[in-house]
Amino acid sequence: MPRVAAMVETAPMDSGATEAVRPGDAEPTDDQIDPSLVLHARDLRKSFEDTVAVDGVSLAVHPGERVGIVGPNGAGKTTTLLMLLGAIEPDSGTVDLVGQRLPDGRGEAMARVGFAAGYIPLPERMTVRETLDLFGTLYGLAEADAAADQVLEELGIPHLAKQRCDSLSSGQGTLVGFAKAVIHQPELIVLDEPTASLDPDVAMRVRDRLEVMNTEHNATLLLTSHDMREVERLTTRVIFLRAGRIIANGPAEEVVEEAGYPDLETMFLAEASRLRTTEV
Amino acid sequence: MTTQIREPVRSLAHPARARVWAMSKRNMLVQSRNPGHWFLLLVLPLVDGLLFGSIGVAFGEGEAPVRLLVTGVMLFHLIWQITLAGSLGLLEEVWSRNLMNLIATPLTEREFLGALGLVGLLRTMVSVSVIALVGLGFYSVAPDSAGWVLVPGAAILLLFGWAITLFVIGLTLQYGDSAEVFSWGTLVLIMPLSGVFYPVDSLPAILQPIAEVIPLTRVFAAVQEGLDTGAIAWDQLAIAAVGTLIALALATWFVDHQMSRFRRLGWITRFT
Repeated sequence: MPRVAAMVETAPMDSGATEAVRPGDAEPTDDQIDPSLVLHARDLRKSFEDTVAVDGVSLAVHPGERVGIVGPNGAGKTTTLLMLLGAIEPDSGTVDLVGQRLPDGRGEAMARVGFAAGYIPLPERMTVRETLDLFGTLYGLAEADAAADQVLEELGIPHLAKQRCDSLSSGQGTLVGFAKAVIHQPELIVLDEPTASLDPDVAMRVRDRLEVMNTEHNATLLLTSHDMREVERLTTRVIFLRAGRIIANGPAEEVVEEAGYPDLETMFLAEASRLRTTEV
Repeated sequence: MTTQIREPVRSLAHPARARVWAMSKRNMLVQSRNPGHWFLLLVLPLVDGLLFGSIGVAFGEGEAPVRLLVTGVMLFHLIWQITLAGSLGLLEEVWSRNLMNLIATPLTEREFLGALGLVGLLRTMVSVSVIALVGLGFYSVAPDSAGWVLVPGAAILLLFGWAITLFVIGLTLQYGDSAEVFSWGTLVLIMPLSGVFYPVDSLPAILQPIAEVIPLTRVFAAVQEGLDTGAIAWDQLAIAAVGTLIALALATWFVDHQMSRFRRLGWITRFT
Protein backbone atom coordinates (compact mmCIF):
# COMPACT_ATOMS: atom_id res chain seq x y z
CA MET A 1 0.00 0.00 0.00
CA PRO A 2 1.44 3.39 -0.90
CA ARG A 3 2.47 5.30 2.15
CA VAL A 4 0.14 8.20 1.45
CA ALA A 5 -2.89 5.93 1.74
CA ALA A 6 -1.54 4.45 4.93
CA MET A 7 -1.04 7.90 6.35
CA VAL A 8 -4.52 9.09 5.56
CA GLU A 9 -6.03 5.93 6.97
CA THR A 10 -4.01 5.83 10.13
CA ALA A 11 -3.98 9.51 10.85
CA PRO A 12 -7.27 11.24 10.21
CA MET A 13 -7.35 14.95 10.90
CA ASP A 14 -8.82 14.61 14.36
CA SER A 15 -6.44 11.92 15.55
CA GLY A 16 -3.18 12.22 17.46
CA ALA A 17 0.33 12.16 16.14
CA THR A 18 1.05 11.72 12.47
CA GLU A 19 4.15 9.91 11.35
CA ALA A 20 6.46 9.99 8.39
CA VAL A 21 8.55 6.87 8.47
CA ARG A 22 9.45 4.58 5.64
CA PRO A 23 7.62 1.31 5.24
CA GLY A 24 9.43 -1.34 7.20
CA ASP A 25 10.87 1.04 9.80
CA ALA A 26 10.91 -0.44 13.27
CA GLU A 27 8.72 1.31 15.80
CA PRO A 28 11.00 3.62 17.76
CA THR A 29 11.12 3.73 21.50
CA ASP A 30 11.17 7.15 23.11
CA ASP A 31 14.28 6.72 25.22
CA GLN A 32 16.62 5.36 22.55
CA ILE A 33 18.51 7.04 19.78
CA ASP A 34 18.28 5.00 16.60
CA PRO A 35 21.80 5.09 15.13
CA SER A 36 20.55 4.07 11.70
CA LEU A 37 18.66 7.34 11.29
CA VAL A 38 20.09 10.74 10.40
CA LEU A 39 17.02 12.46 11.73
CA HIS A 40 14.35 11.13 14.00
CA ALA A 41 11.57 13.28 15.37
CA ARG A 42 8.84 11.84 17.57
CA ASP A 43 5.45 13.39 18.16
CA LEU A 44 6.54 17.02 17.87
CA ARG A 45 4.02 19.54 19.06
CA LYS A 46 4.28 23.30 19.20
CA SER A 47 1.75 26.02 19.89
CA PHE A 48 2.21 29.77 19.97
CA GLU A 49 -0.37 31.22 22.32
CA ASP A 50 -3.68 29.92 20.90
CA THR A 51 -2.28 28.82 17.55
CA VAL A 52 -1.24 25.22 17.03
CA ALA A 53 1.72 25.34 14.63
CA VAL A 54 2.80 21.70 14.73
CA ASP A 55 0.49 19.00 15.94
CA GLY A 56 2.14 15.66 16.52
CA VAL A 57 4.65 15.32 13.70
CA SER A 58 6.92 12.28 13.68
CA LEU A 59 9.46 11.59 11.00
CA ALA A 60 12.41 9.32 10.41
CA VAL A 61 15.02 10.05 7.77
CA HIS A 62 17.67 7.54 6.70
CA PRO A 63 21.17 8.35 5.46
CA GLY A 64 21.20 9.35 1.83
CA GLU A 65 17.47 10.05 1.64
CA ARG A 66 16.16 13.16 -0.10
CA VAL A 67 13.07 14.34 1.70
CA GLY A 68 10.90 17.33 0.90
CA ILE A 69 8.54 18.92 3.41
CA VAL A 70 5.78 20.71 1.59
CA GLY A 71 2.51 22.39 2.34
CA PRO A 72 0.88 25.77 1.97
CA ASN A 73 1.83 28.77 4.10
CA GLY A 74 0.95 28.15 7.72
CA ALA A 75 1.18 24.37 7.37
CA GLY A 76 4.00 24.27 9.93
CA LYS A 77 7.00 23.66 7.68
CA THR A 78 9.33 26.31 9.06
CA THR A 79 8.37 25.67 12.70
CA THR A 80 9.05 21.97 12.13
CA LEU A 81 12.43 22.72 10.53
CA LEU A 82 13.40 25.09 13.35
CA MET A 83 12.50 22.45 15.93
CA LEU A 84 14.53 19.86 14.02
CA LEU A 85 17.51 22.25 14.20
CA GLY A 86 17.03 22.98 17.89
CA ALA A 87 16.28 26.67 17.33
CA ILE A 88 12.78 26.25 18.77
CA GLU A 89 12.03 23.99 21.70
CA PRO A 90 9.01 21.74 21.11
CA ASP A 91 6.20 21.73 23.67
CA SER A 92 6.51 17.97 23.59
CA GLY A 93 8.26 15.32 21.55
CA THR A 94 11.90 14.50 20.91
CA VAL A 95 14.41 15.18 18.14
CA ASP A 96 17.46 13.02 17.47
CA LEU A 97 19.78 14.69 14.99
CA VAL A 98 22.74 12.74 13.49
CA GLY A 99 22.78 10.52 16.56
CA GLN A 100 22.42 13.28 19.14
CA ARG A 101 19.36 13.97 21.27
CA LEU A 102 18.41 17.65 21.30
CA PRO A 103 18.82 19.97 23.04
CA ASP A 104 21.81 18.52 24.94
CA GLY A 105 23.60 17.18 21.88
CA ARG A 106 22.85 20.18 19.67
CA GLY A 107 26.43 21.48 19.49
CA GLU A 108 27.87 18.17 18.43
CA ALA A 109 25.04 17.52 15.99
CA MET A 110 25.26 20.89 14.28
CA ALA A 111 28.87 20.23 13.27
CA ARG A 112 27.44 17.59 10.94
CA VAL A 113 24.43 19.54 9.68
CA GLY A 114 24.29 22.36 7.15
CA PHE A 115 21.44 24.85 6.96
CA ALA A 116 20.54 27.52 4.45
CA ALA A 117 17.39 29.48 3.84
CA GLY A 118 16.75 31.60 0.81
CA TYR A 119 15.18 34.31 2.96
CA ILE A 120 18.03 34.72 5.46
CA PRO A 121 20.69 37.21 4.39
CA LEU A 122 24.40 36.81 4.92
CA PRO A 123 26.27 38.80 7.57
CA GLU A 124 26.88 42.41 6.65
CA ARG A 125 30.26 44.13 6.41
CA MET A 126 32.14 40.92 5.63
CA THR A 127 33.44 39.57 2.36
CA VAL A 128 32.23 36.25 1.00
CA ARG A 129 35.54 34.60 1.82
CA GLU A 130 35.59 35.99 5.37
CA THR A 131 32.03 34.76 5.86
CA LEU A 132 32.83 31.27 4.64
CA ASP A 133 36.00 31.22 6.73
CA LEU A 134 33.94 32.20 9.79
CA PHE A 135 31.31 29.54 9.29
CA GLY A 136 33.88 26.90 8.34
CA THR A 137 35.62 27.54 11.66
CA LEU A 138 32.32 27.48 13.54
CA TYR A 139 31.62 24.09 11.99
CA GLY A 140 35.03 22.89 13.19
CA LEU A 141 37.12 22.89 10.01
CA ALA A 142 40.83 23.13 10.71
CA GLU A 143 41.52 24.81 7.38
CA ALA A 144 38.39 26.80 6.86
CA ASP A 145 40.01 29.27 4.47
CA ALA A 146 41.05 26.47 2.10
CA ALA A 147 37.59 24.91 2.38
CA ALA A 148 36.08 28.32 1.52
CA ASP A 149 38.13 28.57 -1.67
CA GLN A 150 37.23 25.00 -2.52
CA VAL A 151 33.47 25.38 -2.15
CA LEU A 152 33.49 28.66 -4.09
CA GLU A 153 35.39 26.93 -6.88
CA GLU A 154 32.99 24.01 -6.91
CA LEU A 155 29.99 26.30 -7.16
CA GLY A 156 31.65 28.26 -9.94
CA ILE A 157 31.76 31.52 -8.02
CA PRO A 158 35.41 32.06 -7.03
CA HIS A 159 35.13 35.62 -8.41
CA LEU A 160 32.80 36.52 -5.53
CA ALA A 161 35.40 35.72 -2.86
CA LYS A 162 36.46 39.30 -2.19
CA GLN A 163 33.05 40.85 -2.64
CA ARG A 164 31.18 42.13 0.40
CA CYS A 165 28.13 40.00 1.24
CA ASP A 166 25.90 43.08 1.45
CA SER A 167 26.78 43.99 -2.14
CA LEU A 168 25.73 40.65 -3.64
CA SER A 169 22.62 40.29 -5.76
CA SER A 170 19.90 38.21 -4.12
CA GLY A 171 20.74 35.26 -6.34
CA GLN A 172 24.45 35.50 -5.53
CA GLY A 173 23.58 35.81 -1.84
CA THR A 174 21.47 32.65 -1.97
CA LEU A 175 24.33 30.83 -3.70
CA VAL A 176 26.86 31.94 -1.08
CA GLY A 177 24.37 31.02 1.65
CA PHE A 178 24.28 27.57 0.11
CA ALA A 179 28.10 27.46 0.04
CA LYS A 180 28.06 28.35 3.75
CA ALA A 181 25.72 25.43 4.43
CA VAL A 182 27.84 22.82 2.65
CA ILE A 183 31.39 24.05 3.30
CA HIS A 184 31.91 21.32 5.93
CA GLN A 185 30.49 18.46 3.86
CA PRO A 186 27.58 17.89 6.24
CA GLU A 187 25.83 14.56 6.59
CA LEU A 188 22.46 16.30 6.64
CA ILE A 189 21.69 19.36 4.55
CA VAL A 190 18.59 21.27 5.64
CA LEU A 191 17.37 23.81 3.12
CA ASP A 192 14.44 26.16 3.48
CA GLU A 193 13.46 27.52 0.08
CA PRO A 194 16.95 26.81 -1.30
CA THR A 195 16.57 28.19 -4.80
CA ALA A 196 14.27 31.11 -4.09
CA SER A 197 15.36 34.18 -6.08
CA LEU A 198 17.88 32.23 -8.15
CA ASP A 199 18.02 32.44 -11.93
CA PRO A 200 17.08 29.10 -13.51
CA ASP A 201 20.67 28.33 -14.53
CA VAL A 202 22.02 29.11 -11.05
CA ALA A 203 19.20 27.13 -9.43
CA MET A 204 20.19 24.23 -11.65
CA ARG A 205 23.79 24.56 -10.45
CA VAL A 206 22.62 24.32 -6.84
CA ARG A 207 20.45 21.30 -7.61
CA ASP A 208 23.34 19.63 -9.44
CA ARG A 209 25.62 20.23 -6.49
CA LEU A 210 23.03 18.78 -4.11
CA GLU A 211 22.74 15.70 -6.28
CA VAL A 212 26.52 15.29 -6.33
CA MET A 213 26.68 15.56 -2.55
CA ASN A 214 23.85 13.11 -2.23
CA THR A 215 25.07 10.50 -4.69
CA GLU A 216 28.81 10.70 -4.08
CA HIS A 217 28.84 11.44 -0.36
CA ASN A 218 25.54 9.96 0.74
CA ALA A 219 24.54 13.36 2.16
CA THR A 220 20.94 13.40 3.32
CA LEU A 221 18.73 16.23 2.08
CA LEU A 222 15.78 17.74 3.88
CA LEU A 223 14.21 20.68 2.16
CA THR A 224 11.15 22.82 1.95
CA SER A 225 10.16 24.64 -1.17
CA HIS A 226 7.19 26.25 -2.82
CA ASP A 227 8.55 25.10 -6.18
CA MET A 228 6.85 21.73 -6.54
CA ARG A 229 8.77 20.85 -9.68
CA GLU A 230 11.98 21.34 -7.76
CA VAL A 231 10.68 19.12 -4.97
CA GLU A 232 9.72 16.43 -7.47
CA ARG A 233 13.13 16.58 -9.07
CA LEU A 234 15.24 16.76 -5.94
CA THR A 235 13.49 14.49 -3.49
CA THR A 236 12.74 10.81 -3.29
CA ARG A 237 10.11 11.29 -0.60
CA VAL A 238 7.59 14.01 0.10
CA ILE A 239 6.01 14.81 3.45
CA PHE A 240 2.89 16.89 2.97
CA LEU A 241 1.80 19.03 5.91
CA ARG A 242 -1.57 20.53 6.57
CA ALA A 243 -2.31 22.58 9.69
CA GLY A 244 0.75 21.20 11.47
CA ARG A 245 0.02 17.57 10.67
CA ILE A 246 1.33 15.12 8.13
CA ILE A 247 -1.36 14.19 5.64
CA ALA A 248 0.80 12.31 3.16
CA ASN A 249 4.23 10.75 3.07
CA GLY A 250 5.87 8.91 0.22
CA PRO A 251 7.41 9.28 -3.22
CA ALA A 252 5.89 12.30 -4.96
CA GLU A 253 4.27 10.26 -7.72
CA GLU A 254 2.58 7.96 -5.20
CA VAL A 255 1.44 10.86 -3.03
CA VAL A 256 -0.26 12.65 -5.90
CA GLU A 257 -1.70 9.47 -7.34
CA GLU A 258 -3.26 8.45 -4.06
CA ALA A 259 -4.62 11.92 -3.48
CA GLY A 260 -6.08 11.96 -6.98
CA TYR A 261 -4.07 14.78 -8.48
CA PRO A 262 -2.05 14.81 -11.70
CA ASP A 263 1.04 16.27 -10.08
CA LEU A 264 2.41 17.76 -6.88
CA GLU A 265 1.83 21.35 -7.95
CA THR A 266 -1.87 20.75 -8.53
CA MET A 267 -2.11 19.05 -5.16
CA PHE A 268 -0.29 21.95 -3.51
CA LEU A 269 -2.60 24.50 -5.15
CA ALA A 270 -5.66 22.49 -4.10
CA GLU A 271 -4.42 22.39 -0.51
CA ALA A 272 -3.71 26.14 -0.54
CA SER A 273 -7.16 26.80 -1.95
CA ARG A 274 -8.71 24.52 0.68
CA LEU A 275 -6.86 26.43 3.39
CA ARG A 276 -8.11 29.78 2.08
CA THR A 277 -11.68 28.47 2.02
CA THR A 278 -11.32 27.23 5.59
CA GLU A 279 -9.97 30.58 6.71
CA VAL A 280 -12.85 32.44 5.07
CA MET B 1 28.04 20.61 -12.81
CA THR B 2 29.58 17.40 -11.54
CA THR B 3 32.75 18.63 -9.88
CA GLN B 4 34.41 16.07 -7.69
CA ILE B 5 34.10 17.02 -4.06
CA ARG B 6 37.19 16.68 -1.92
CA GLU B 7 36.94 16.20 1.79
CA PRO B 8 38.05 19.30 3.67
CA VAL B 9 40.34 18.78 6.63
CA ARG B 10 38.37 18.63 9.85
CA SER B 11 39.66 18.03 13.36
CA LEU B 12 40.25 21.36 15.01
CA ALA B 13 42.26 20.67 18.14
CA HIS B 14 40.26 23.15 20.25
CA PRO B 15 36.99 23.81 18.42
CA ALA B 16 35.39 25.84 21.23
CA ARG B 17 38.42 28.14 21.48
CA ALA B 18 38.50 28.46 17.69
CA ARG B 19 34.84 29.42 17.62
CA VAL B 20 35.34 32.12 20.25
CA TRP B 21 38.27 33.49 18.28
CA ALA B 22 36.35 33.32 14.99
CA MET B 23 33.43 35.24 16.49
CA SER B 24 35.79 37.77 18.08
CA LYS B 25 37.39 38.29 14.67
CA ARG B 26 33.94 38.72 13.13
CA ASN B 27 33.00 41.34 15.72
CA MET B 28 36.26 43.21 15.19
CA LEU B 29 35.87 43.14 11.41
CA VAL B 30 32.30 44.35 11.56
CA GLN B 31 33.06 47.08 14.06
CA SER B 32 36.21 48.23 12.28
CA ARG B 33 34.19 48.69 9.08
CA ASN B 34 31.50 50.74 10.77
CA PRO B 35 32.54 54.40 11.11
CA GLY B 36 30.16 54.80 14.02
CA HIS B 37 32.21 52.38 16.08
CA TRP B 38 35.43 54.31 15.42
CA PHE B 39 33.67 57.44 16.61
CA LEU B 40 32.64 55.72 19.84
CA LEU B 41 36.02 54.10 20.28
CA LEU B 42 38.39 56.98 19.53
CA VAL B 43 36.63 60.29 18.99
CA LEU B 44 34.28 60.24 21.95
CA PRO B 45 37.01 59.32 24.47
CA LEU B 46 39.18 62.07 22.98
CA VAL B 47 36.37 64.60 23.29
CA ASP B 48 35.49 63.44 26.82
CA GLY B 49 39.14 63.59 27.89
CA LEU B 50 39.45 67.15 26.59
CA LEU B 51 36.09 68.22 27.97
CA PHE B 52 36.55 66.95 31.50
CA GLY B 53 40.24 67.85 31.62
CA SER B 54 39.47 71.42 30.62
CA ILE B 55 36.57 71.70 33.07
CA GLY B 56 38.97 70.55 35.81
CA VAL B 57 41.49 73.19 34.84
CA ALA B 58 38.91 75.96 34.44
CA PHE B 59 36.90 75.48 37.61
CA GLY B 60 39.22 73.71 40.00
CA GLU B 61 42.02 74.87 42.20
CA GLY B 62 45.28 73.00 41.97
CA GLU B 63 45.75 69.60 40.39
CA ALA B 64 43.19 67.63 42.36
CA PRO B 65 40.03 68.48 40.34
CA VAL B 66 41.60 67.76 36.96
CA ARG B 67 43.03 64.50 38.27
CA LEU B 68 39.62 63.47 39.58
CA LEU B 69 37.77 64.37 36.39
CA VAL B 70 40.26 62.74 34.00
CA THR B 71 40.49 59.59 36.13
CA GLY B 72 36.69 59.53 36.45
CA VAL B 73 36.05 59.79 32.72
CA MET B 74 38.72 57.16 32.06
CA LEU B 75 36.92 54.73 34.38
CA PHE B 76 33.56 55.69 32.89
CA HIS B 77 34.82 54.65 29.46
CA LEU B 78 36.26 51.47 30.90
CA ILE B 79 32.81 50.27 31.89
CA TRP B 80 30.94 51.91 29.01
CA GLN B 81 33.02 50.36 26.24
CA ILE B 82 32.61 46.80 27.50
CA THR B 83 28.88 47.37 27.78
CA LEU B 84 28.72 48.80 24.28
CA ALA B 85 30.77 45.99 22.74
CA GLY B 86 28.52 43.36 24.26
CA SER B 87 25.15 44.85 23.55
CA LEU B 88 26.02 46.23 20.12
CA GLY B 89 27.67 42.91 19.23
CA LEU B 90 24.32 41.15 19.56
CA LEU B 91 22.49 44.02 17.90
CA GLU B 92 24.79 43.74 14.87
CA GLU B 93 23.60 40.13 14.47
CA VAL B 94 20.00 41.29 14.84
CA TRP B 95 20.42 44.11 12.32
CA SER B 96 22.02 41.84 9.74
CA ARG B 97 19.51 39.04 10.52
CA ASN B 98 22.41 36.70 11.11
CA LEU B 99 21.18 35.02 14.29
CA MET B 100 19.65 32.02 12.55
CA ASN B 101 22.86 31.46 10.57
CA LEU B 102 24.76 31.30 13.88
CA ILE B 103 22.19 29.15 15.66
CA ALA B 104 22.52 26.58 12.88
CA THR B 105 26.18 25.99 13.81
CA PRO B 106 27.81 24.34 16.84
CA LEU B 107 28.41 27.80 18.37
CA THR B 108 27.16 27.81 21.95
CA GLU B 109 25.65 30.74 23.80
CA ARG B 110 28.61 30.79 26.16
CA GLU B 111 31.06 30.98 23.25
CA PHE B 112 29.04 33.76 21.66
CA LEU B 113 29.12 35.75 24.91
CA GLY B 114 32.82 34.96 25.39
CA ALA B 115 33.63 36.54 22.04
CA LEU B 116 31.63 39.65 22.93
CA GLY B 117 33.53 39.88 26.22
CA LEU B 118 36.91 39.62 24.51
CA VAL B 119 36.07 42.35 22.04
CA GLY B 120 34.72 44.44 24.89
CA LEU B 121 38.04 44.15 26.72
CA LEU B 122 39.91 45.20 23.60
CA ARG B 123 37.63 48.19 23.08
CA THR B 124 38.10 49.15 26.71
CA MET B 125 41.87 49.04 26.39
CA VAL B 126 41.84 51.25 23.29
CA SER B 127 39.39 53.76 24.64
CA VAL B 128 41.00 54.05 28.07
CA SER B 129 44.39 54.46 26.42
CA VAL B 130 43.09 57.40 24.38
CA ILE B 131 41.90 59.19 27.53
CA ALA B 132 45.08 58.30 29.39
CA LEU B 133 47.12 59.87 26.59
CA VAL B 134 44.92 62.97 26.57
CA GLY B 135 45.26 63.30 30.35
CA LEU B 136 48.99 62.80 30.28
CA GLY B 137 49.66 64.90 27.19
CA PHE B 138 47.43 67.88 27.81
CA TYR B 139 46.85 68.02 31.56
CA SER B 140 49.86 66.21 33.04
CA VAL B 141 47.58 63.71 34.76
CA ALA B 142 49.19 60.30 35.04
CA PRO B 143 46.69 57.49 34.34
CA ASP B 144 47.73 55.81 37.60
CA SER B 145 47.24 58.91 39.75
CA ALA B 146 44.89 57.06 42.07
CA GLY B 147 47.48 54.36 42.71
CA TRP B 148 46.95 50.63 43.18
CA VAL B 149 43.26 51.05 43.95
CA LEU B 150 42.77 51.21 40.19
CA VAL B 151 43.58 47.51 39.81
CA PRO B 152 40.78 46.04 41.96
CA GLY B 153 38.59 49.03 41.08
CA ALA B 154 38.91 48.41 37.35
CA ALA B 155 38.24 44.70 37.83
CA ILE B 156 35.01 45.45 39.71
CA LEU B 157 33.96 48.00 37.09
CA LEU B 158 34.53 45.49 34.29
CA LEU B 159 32.47 42.86 36.08
CA PHE B 160 29.68 45.34 36.73
CA GLY B 161 29.84 46.41 33.07
CA TRP B 162 29.49 42.76 32.07
CA ALA B 163 26.43 42.41 34.31
CA ILE B 164 24.83 45.35 32.50
CA THR B 165 25.80 43.79 29.16
CA LEU B 166 24.06 40.52 30.07
CA PHE B 167 20.99 42.44 31.17
CA VAL B 168 20.85 44.36 27.87
CA ILE B 169 21.42 41.15 25.89
CA GLY B 170 18.48 39.58 27.70
CA LEU B 171 16.30 42.54 26.71
CA THR B 172 17.56 42.46 23.11
CA LEU B 173 16.59 38.79 22.76
CA GLN B 174 13.04 39.78 23.57
CA TYR B 175 12.68 43.22 22.02
CA GLY B 176 15.24 43.13 19.18
CA ASP B 177 16.04 46.53 17.69
CA SER B 178 13.85 48.28 20.22
CA ALA B 179 16.30 47.38 22.98
CA GLU B 180 19.04 49.47 21.36
CA VAL B 181 18.33 52.38 23.66
CA PHE B 182 19.30 50.24 26.65
CA SER B 183 22.74 49.53 25.22
CA TRP B 184 23.44 53.25 25.16
CA GLY B 185 21.28 54.42 27.97
CA THR B 186 21.62 52.03 30.90
CA LEU B 187 25.00 53.35 32.00
CA VAL B 188 24.00 56.92 31.27
CA LEU B 189 21.24 56.42 33.84
CA ILE B 190 23.53 54.82 36.39
CA MET B 191 26.61 57.01 36.11
CA PRO B 192 25.18 60.29 37.43
CA LEU B 193 24.02 58.41 40.51
CA SER B 194 27.33 56.72 41.22
CA GLY B 195 29.55 59.66 42.03
CA VAL B 196 32.01 59.39 39.17
CA PHE B 197 32.92 63.05 39.27
CA TYR B 198 31.55 64.22 42.62
CA PRO B 199 30.74 62.84 46.06
CA VAL B 200 27.25 61.37 46.31
CA ASP B 201 26.28 63.91 48.99
CA SER B 202 26.29 66.44 46.14
CA LEU B 203 23.22 64.68 44.76
CA PRO B 204 19.70 65.75 45.73
CA ALA B 205 18.85 64.14 49.07
CA ILE B 206 16.11 62.00 47.55
CA LEU B 207 18.61 60.31 45.22
CA GLN B 208 21.35 59.67 47.74
CA PRO B 209 19.90 56.40 49.13
CA ILE B 210 19.70 55.07 45.56
CA ALA B 211 23.30 56.07 44.93
CA GLU B 212 24.41 54.25 48.08
CA VAL B 213 23.20 50.87 46.83
CA ILE B 214 24.88 51.11 43.43
CA PRO B 215 28.19 49.19 43.63
CA LEU B 216 29.89 51.68 41.31
CA THR B 217 29.45 54.40 43.94
CA ARG B 218 31.76 52.47 46.30
CA VAL B 219 34.37 51.99 43.59
CA PHE B 220 34.45 55.67 42.76
CA ALA B 221 34.57 56.55 46.44
CA ALA B 222 37.60 54.28 46.78
CA VAL B 223 39.22 55.87 43.75
CA GLN B 224 38.57 59.31 45.23
CA GLU B 225 40.31 58.22 48.41
CA GLY B 226 43.18 56.82 46.37
CA LEU B 227 43.55 60.16 44.61
CA ASP B 228 43.41 62.08 47.89
CA THR B 229 45.60 59.89 50.10
CA GLY B 230 47.09 57.13 48.00
CA ALA B 231 45.47 54.57 50.32
CA ILE B 232 43.30 51.66 49.20
CA ALA B 233 39.83 51.77 50.74
CA TRP B 234 39.37 48.01 51.00
CA ASP B 235 36.10 48.39 52.89
CA GLN B 236 34.51 50.32 50.02
CA LEU B 237 35.94 47.89 47.48
CA ALA B 238 34.64 44.90 49.43
CA ILE B 239 31.10 46.31 49.49
CA ALA B 240 31.39 47.10 45.78
CA ALA B 241 32.61 43.57 45.03
CA VAL B 242 29.73 41.95 46.90
CA GLY B 243 27.20 44.22 45.19
CA THR B 244 28.75 43.51 41.80
CA LEU B 245 28.67 39.76 42.35
CA ILE B 246 25.00 40.00 43.25
CA ALA B 247 24.33 42.09 40.14
CA LEU B 248 26.28 39.58 38.04
CA ALA B 249 24.34 36.64 39.48
CA LEU B 250 21.02 38.38 38.78
CA ALA B 251 22.08 39.32 35.24
CA THR B 252 23.27 35.77 34.54
CA TRP B 253 19.97 34.38 35.75
CA PHE B 254 18.09 36.92 33.63
CA VAL B 255 19.97 36.17 30.42
CA ASP B 256 19.63 32.40 30.98
CA HIS B 257 15.90 32.87 31.56
CA GLN B 258 15.58 34.98 28.40
CA MET B 259 17.52 32.46 26.32
CA SER B 260 15.23 29.72 27.54
CA ARG B 261 12.19 31.83 26.58
CA PHE B 262 13.86 32.59 23.22
CA ARG B 263 13.86 28.86 22.39
CA ARG B 264 10.53 28.04 24.00
CA LEU B 265 8.54 30.93 22.52
CA GLY B 266 10.19 30.76 19.09
CA TRP B 267 11.56 34.31 19.20
CA ILE B 268 14.06 33.36 16.50
CA THR B 269 11.28 33.87 13.96
CA ARG B 270 11.36 37.59 14.82
CA PHE B 271 14.95 37.76 13.60
CA THR B 272 14.70 35.89 10.30
